[in-house]
Amino acid sequence: MEITTDRPSADLAVIALAGELDGSNFERVIDAGRAALAEGATRVILDLSGLTYMGSSGLVAIHSIALLTHGREPVSPEDGWQAIHDIGSEAADGGDPTVYLAAPGPSVARVLERSGMAGLFPVHPDRDAAIAAASA
Amino acid sequence: MGGHADPASLTIEADGQRLADVRAFIRALAAATGADEESTADLVQAVDELVCNVIEHGYRGGPGTIEVDAQVTGETIVVRIRDRAPAFDPRSVPPPDLDLPLERRPLGGMGIHLARTLTDRLDHRILPGGGNEVTLSKRLRPRTARESNDGDHDRPAERRPRGHRPGR
Repeated sequence: MEITTDRPSADLAVIALAGELDGSNFERVIDAGRAALAEGATRVILDLSGLTYMGSSGLVAIHSIALLTHGREPVSPEDGWQAIHDIGSEAADGGDPTVYLAAPGPSVARVLERSGMAGLFPVHPDRDAAIAAASA
Repeated sequence: MGGHADPASLTIEADGQRLADVRAFIRALAAATGADEESTADLVQAVDELVCNVIEHGYRGGPGTIEVDAQVTGETIVVRIRDRAPAFDPRSVPPPDLDLPLERRPLGGMGIHLARTLTDRLDHRILPGGGNEVTLSKRLRPRTARESNDGDHDRPAERRPRGHRPGR
């Protein structure tokens, strides 16, 4: 999988993924998100147009980056139930979106739908539309 | 395109880097049956999720082997995934709450749910010498010149455009 990060503006990062996103490489996506945030981005667009496969690990990557944009460290189930409980005790904030998804292909879109994740992020048909929405 | 019923198998080390090989193996088998893009992609994902689960949780990132074999009979493919990891029945995992907001969702836990929903049947047994055998079966829909207008089990919004082919 190839990961390419562009910065259309100081507070926006576009992370484009190409190839197959699976359990062997999803952490690289999280790392790319972490790096963009460390460099000043506050919102992230994930350009999914180049993905030919996305497993549930990709959902973990998207979720993790969303948590990072909220200043929260992603916690996996392996970190224990108390950590998960701590997450649950923090109520959802209904603020503006910080993660946008662009141009998922048919199979990637199905994964987003079936996991209920499609309803949690703005999904745009292409990168330009996502940039316009994130810059509004 | 009449697919042969010969069983095919692939044995891998429990290493995430081999997941792409597993997907390619399953994709090739599905392609040989003339399956359409969507049922192929669903099958590939189900197997990927289950094998990934064995690597990450069964063997906990440690060494081990995983054997994947498949048999096609007519339009139905049966895939068996065997490991030597501690006993684990994927059917024992409760389905996730898909309506939870992001902040309250646990990270992960979606793979087995997807594998179960993407297949027609999922079975598990503990192998006599230890280890697990997960068997999944799925009826593959044939590719057609025009998209069939029979009862699509997916929502219309998820209908795929014509001409889309699964990637490598």
